[in-house]
Amino acid sequence: MLVDLIRSLGRYGLSQISFLGRMGIFFYHMVRGLARAPRKFWPTMRQVLFIGSKSLFVISFTAVFTGMVLGLQGYYTLSRFGAKGMLGAAVALSLIRELGPALAAIMVTGRAGSAMCAEIGIMRIEEQIDALECMAVDPHAYLITPRLLASLIAIPLLTAIFDVVGIFGGYLVGVALLGTNPGAFITGMEKTVEWNDVHMGIVKSLIFSVLVIWICTYKGYFTGVDKGYFGPEEVSRATTEAVVLASVAILVSDYAVTSIML
Amino acid sequence: MSDSPFIALQKLNSYYGSRQILHEIECTIPRRKITVIMGISGCGKSTLLRHLIGLKPTEAGEMSIEGKDVGTFDESDMRAYRMRMGVLFQGGALFNSLTVAQNVATPLKVHTRLADSTIAIMAAIKLHLVGLTGAADRMPSQLSGGMRKRAGLARALAMDPEILFVDEPSSGLDPITAAGLDDLILELRETLGMTIVVVTHELESAFRIADQMIVMDAGKILVAGAPEEIKSNRDPRVVQFLERRADERRTEDESYMASLLGGRKVECEIEE
Ligand SMILES: Nc1ncnc2c1ncn2[C@@H]1O[C@H](COP(=O)(O)OP(=O)(O)OP(=O)(O)O)[C@@H](O)[C@H]1O
Ligand SMILES: [Mg+2]
Repeated sequence: MLVDLIRSLGRYGLSQISFLGRMGIFFYHMVRGLARAPRKFWPTMRQVLFIGSKSLFVISFTAVFTGMVLGLQGYYTLSRFGAKGMLGAAVALSLIRELGPALAAIMVTGRAGSAMCAEIGIMRIEEQIDALECMAVDPHAYLITPRLLASLIAIPLLTAIFDVVGIFGGYLVGVALLGTNPGAFITGMEKTVEWNDVHMGIVKSLIFSVLVIWICTYKGYFTGVDKGYFGPEEVSRATTEAVVLASVAILVSDYAVTSIML
Repeated sequence: MSDSPFIALQKLNSYYGSRQILHEIECTIPRRKITVIMGISGCGKSTLLRHLIGLKPTEAGEMSIEGKDVGTFDESDMRAYRMRMGVLFQGGALFNSLTVAQNVATPLKVHTRLADSTIAIMAAIKLHLVGLTGAADRMPSQLSGGMRKRAGLARALAMDPEILFVDEPSSGLDPITAAGLDDLILELRETLGMTIVVVTHELESAFRIADQMIVMDAGKILVAGAPEEIKSNRDPRVVQFLERRADERRTEDESYMASLLGGRKVECEIEE
């Protein structure tokens, strides 16, 4: 009974260690592929288009509502302190420093990251990745590098769009609906937001880009490998795991980055 | 050098997890010959092939390529070996986001600096070779199973490999197309001197193309040798395989009963 418990704990521990080790090796291969970046221009552009077209709409949509909620909540909180004039600053800072990078990355995970995981997972179960290896093509450089480069380009841009649309949503509620002074909204924002804040948002979105691609393509790449069983249901399992793990990783690393950069 | 074997296996053991799939496999793949690997489904043919193409890691001392131990290969050795080989996987393994022609062109695009128009011509030649000229611009999902196999073969031939591995080229093909593929394989050996390893179930085609045959059973090599030797072999398992007889019913009944009882041993006598 006790022995069984210890044994299963041990097995769990070992599997986690091997998971981390393999993720590390995968990361190394992914980064090594960057050496061939110049030859990846067009594949990268295709992936930028893929990420952008998949996520732009849903990002604008969530951004406008996030901004509106921030405007609403901010208005009632700030008015208790008689600081309604700070609404613009409050909305912009929360978006630029925190919500923009995190929510944009989570949306990209759900839309594009999951699709990438499934696509690569199918390539695994149909032996296409094996076929690449047998052609002496490095599957990491061929499959992962363009996606990594593309997300490093696309996710910061989508984050910027998230920020701008979100601020617009906050303006909509704060100024048009609740009647804050538009001048105060804008100048408050202008005076408070500093380069540091924008810098933090950019750093975060770059880190999240790497995390999203690393986790989603890793999960796809090793679909079914542990079980040695390469059925289609393994792809859906991998995709679910990728989205959950990537979202958690984004939120956890968000806290870590914030605490380091503050 | 030219008559030493291309690949030699010495006591190759292979596992998936703790399950042993291949037991002490010993054989050689001669140069410029067609080696046919046969055996019933699940006996480990594809697994053996995965060792031969370096997808499944092999322990040192178990397999050598041109006298060099694969267990000691580093990344660039493996890469060099793979530049010389072409592989057709059991399911075709076409890239489903690319058209058939783009699939065939992929190795050329990655490994050569030829102009796109040249690559397109070379891909068209390979597609013509396997009789798929009309399907060049179709997506893999729009092909039949047999067409996918042939497209995969065209891709395997794209770099004019020295050694070609094919996993069941003719399963799922009609007899006429299958015979065409056999001719193609023979022609590749004759005109280009390719070393070819074919996994197949089809006895007729196997005896037509083989220079050397390896018959496997449950992860072991039953017999290996020239087709005539295999034909005259008196081993009951080989004879059974060649005569396409099903397994004896009785043993199956027992294991069937055991499986129904969840692995418990069957005590009762089965009525004949
Ligand atoms: N990834 C894997 N993990 C665990 N076991 C596997 C795996 N692949 C194959 N096997 C097992 O190994 C054995 C040999 O499989 P293999 O694919 O080599 O057979 P095969 O001879 O090619 O059969 P077929 O003619 O049906 O293709 C089978 O019993 C199979 O269940
Ligand atoms: Mg097989």
